Amino acid sequence: MPTVTIDNQAFAAEVDETILQVAARNGVWIPTLCYHAALEPYASCRLCMVEIDRGGWWQMVTACNYPVRRDVTVRVESERAIRARRGVMRLLLARAPESPELRALASRLGVTQTDFPTVTEAEGNCILCGLCVRACEERIGTAAISLTGRGVERKVSAPFGEPSEECILCGSCAAVCPVGTIRLEVHGDEWELVPFGKKGPAQRCAACGAVLTAELVREALARRGPAAVQGILAGEELCARCKRKKLVGQLLAAGGSGAPSAPSER
Amino acid sequence: MSQPQLGPPPTCQSPEHTCGVSVVHEIIERYGGNPEMLIPMMQDIQAAEGYLPREHLRTLGRELGVPLSRIYGVATFYAAFRLQPKGKHTITLCMGTVCYLKGADQISAVIQDEFQVKPGGTSPDRKFTFAPVNCLGACALAPVMVVDGEYFGGLSASSAVDILQKIASSKKPSEAVAKADAKQKTAAQKNGRGSQNP
Ligand code: SF4
Ligand code: FES
Repeated sequence: MPTVTIDNQAFAAEVDETILQVAARNGVWIPTLCYHAALEPYASCRLCMVEIDRGGWWQMVTACNYPVRRDVTVRVESERAIRARRGVMRLLLARAPESPELRALASRLGVTQTDFPTVTEAEGNCILCGLCVRACEERIGTAAISLTGRGVERKVSAPFGEPSEECILCGSCAAVCPVGTIRLEVHGDEWELVPFGKKGPAQRCAACGAVLTAELVREALARRGPAAVQGILAGEELCARCKRKKLVGQLLAAGGSGAPSAPSER
Repeated sequence: MSQPQLGPPPTCQSPEHTCGVSVVHEIIERYGGNPEMLIPMMQDIQAAEGYLPREHLRTLGRELGVPLSRIYGVATFYAAFRLQPKGKHTITLCMGTVCYLKGADQISAVIQDEFQVKPGGTSPDRKFTFAPVNCLGACALAPVMVVDGEYFGGLSASSAVDILQKIASSKKPSEAVAKADAKQKTAAQKNGRGSQNP
């Protein structure tokens, strides 16, 4: 079992764990932006840079995708590593200067402003981390969007820059975006995924009319969801609260006097 | 990597098969249906059609089991791929340092305005494809443009538009601008071979 020594503290690690995983498990904070535990590491933001001992020199590596193979000595809080991460943060900040999430993370790193020319909201406010693209492809299995173009024109977009035909409005991209660039907006009965322009109707609770999800999500689940999901879909579509009410009613009716004190969620 | 099955005939409604199904099928078979050969397949589609028609890309994705989004990502990443048909004539305008100093950006602006064409795009009447490039290596002729392989140097915004309008209304650029300075052309061809001496 290899030992990972981070800033003079030794931790046991599994082979092929990443430095980031070992650090996180042991409460050592390394900033990240393009990393998500549910997705494959992608190492595009470079915010997680740390130094590792190469015997005589220290190499900068990205902690999120550096696999531990043998004992390794890591410096997270060295002057050079801190300087590198701050430099990266200044660059990222220039790409998404209007993001409160990014500004919060920046100030945690001790960066309050950037001297690089900033891009405007119109140009995306996107740091090109690719989380949205990977969530859609790896977890949802839809692959509605991708990173397109190159250089200064690189951006996240659906094919031909039009609203995607495949998108089911699940909103995973919006949920995973670390800088709040993608938003799922609800306009009455219509949902819109901003900035991709995909629109679709909402599905509502059969009892109280509360918004549940997008109709397209329901359709996608009916098409490719597992058997258990099909069972749920076949039943009445209720929101969590109405479901609970209904369950309590059923239990009271069935149990007579011995009503359960706390019906479980669902 | 598993070989994809060629799926059922696509749901193309058009009698001319704008989905390009037969072209695309043939190209896929050329590479044994291997999705890793995506880029060569796209190159072949472009060679066959002159550009990458949308429906061809859809068909390609469907048949290979590759998401359209990824194909679109590849198509926009490489400068060699084009998603729009080429115009009848191609304008290559030099935006290099010397041409720039001599007003290439103004020439670019009037071309865009006059023919309603964006850099890298094609005019709505399909007459011109406009391709500004970083340098043609013909600084002596600055500002210079090449139309269908023919050099036109010492341009001004108005002379460039004049030349292009003549080309638009005739068959061959050489006929249109027969009067263009022969000396300039010879110089251009020499320079065009890559020597960059001022
Ligand atoms: S939109 Fe958000 S999640 Fe997607 S690449 Fe940009 S910053 Fe990352
Ligand atoms: S979190 Fe490691 S490079 Fe982005």
